[in-house]
Amino acid sequence: MRIAVIVLIGTVLAMLTTASVRAAAGEQAFSANKCGECHVTQGPAQEKTIADQLAKKGPELWYAGSKFQQPWLEQWLQDPKPIRPLKYNSLSEENPGDHPKLAAGDAASITEYLMSLTSADVEVGVIKPKKNPKGRLIFVKKMPCSGCHQFPGKKFKGGRSAPSLHGAGKRLNPDWIYAYLKKTRVFKPIRMMPIFDGILRDKDMKSVAAYVASFK
Amino acid sequence: MQKLLPLAALLVFGLSGGMAQAVDEGTKQTFNFYCAQCHGTGGKGDGPNVTDDFPVNPRNFTKKDEMNKLTNADIKNVILKGGPVASKSPMMPPWGKTLSAEEIDSLVVYLRELCQCEGKQE
Ligand code: HEC
Ligand code: HEC
Ligand code: HEC
Repeated sequence: MRIAVIVLIGTVLAMLTTASVRAAAGEQAFSANKCGECHVTQGPAQEKTIADQLAKKGPELWYAGSKFQQPWLEQWLQDPKPIRPLKYNSLSEENPGDHPKLAAGDAASITEYLMSLTSADVEVGVIKPKKNPKGRLIFVKKMPCSGCHQFPGKKFKGGRSAPSLHGAGKRLNPDWIYAYLKKTRVFKPIRMMPIFDGILRDKDMKSVAAYVASFK
Repeated sequence: MQKLLPLAALLVFGLSGGMAQAVDEGTKQTFNFYCAQCHGTGGKGDGPNVTDDFPVNPRNFTKKDEMNKLTNADIKNVILKGGPVASKSPMMPPWGKTLSAEEIDSLVVYLRELCQCEGKQE
């Protein structure tokens, strides 16, 4: 009995260390690949003015572990297809689609590292992805979401100034989508998207988050 | 007294001329950041979101006749609460939780600069 407990504790410890060792290796690979030249990994958000946001060369990653789904992240780093139709922080240039590509090994360790960067402001297990009529109504009719975001729509395909939401169900953590709507200033104190907290009710934000999380 | 009248007129004219002066760079930056994505950097309603299938044309702020139909209070209200408050499309977002009252006031002045019009009087 005692041996079994020791073995169990030992295994758990070993698993924890491999994960954290891999994350540490990932942190090194992150700096070796100069990812930090364009991405902030240190929270909380520092932007105070529009100029601060416009000075950034890439999206902040300090809450990457709460924002992304691990399998998507590992795959995207090896084959980074454009997410934003336009170049980052530009309204006139197309996304050049020239994001650095990683080999499988670096992609795995950097993913481990990025997934360790979580935010306590994202409550876990609140949003279940669901194609619900209420969320759809808000997204395409009552609110201007589709005016800026491409999405899997039938006639109107959506605007181009924001990240595409095609595949959001594979890319984004549903709980993060809700937290992003509800606690905007924590993640993006300065952004081109309007703040909807106080305009949408809490349950409406949940419905629209569940709807977005259902996008294939 | 009669001699003073032209002087007073001149003074009032000078003052109002001063008020209609160009908005500061900060206001233009606010406009370019939040509004130009639909209304375009020149305010012509041709931002990058407006693709062929975009459901409703964003207002062209350089169209004097259209902009003259709105009072400053109308403009302010639609920026605060979004299109539906003026029976317009919800594609015009509500900015009341995003922008401060001062930012919205200065955007109204900027839109008047773009249309080169005073708007309907309240
Ligand atoms: C020259 C600047 C630059 C460098 C260097 C760079 N990135 Fe990026 N990164 C960007 C931009 C710009 C985007 C947005 C791409 C898009 O929308 O298609 C992005 C997007 C991302 C995303 C998705 C974030 C999101 O919110 O959509 C991740 C994850 C990421 N980068 C990780 C990395 C890693 C890891 C490295 C190092 C191997 C790296 N980046 C190097 C500029 C850069
Ligand atoms: C005026 C344009 C605009 C409108 C309207 C808008 N968004 Fe956004 N949205 C953006 C922009 C721009 C970003 C990226 C912000 C950044 O990272 O700087 C964004 C980011 C997002 C993200 C995160 C995407 C990512 O990969 O980082 C989600 C989810 C989202 N919006 C959902 C919504 C929903 C739901 C609505 C409607 C209730 C909405 N948006 C309305 C412009 C808009
Ligand atoms: C997502 C796209 C979008 C964004 C971003 C946007 N607008 Fe609009 N706006 C529209 C559309 C579409 C209309 C036309 C609505 C209609 O005619 O039904 C409009 C109309 C207007 C009108 C005219 C309303 C009327 O009663 O005729 C004003 C004023 C206005 N917008 C100001 C702004 C300002 C200021 C900003 C930035 C803070 C802004 N808009 C951002 C889409 C947008």
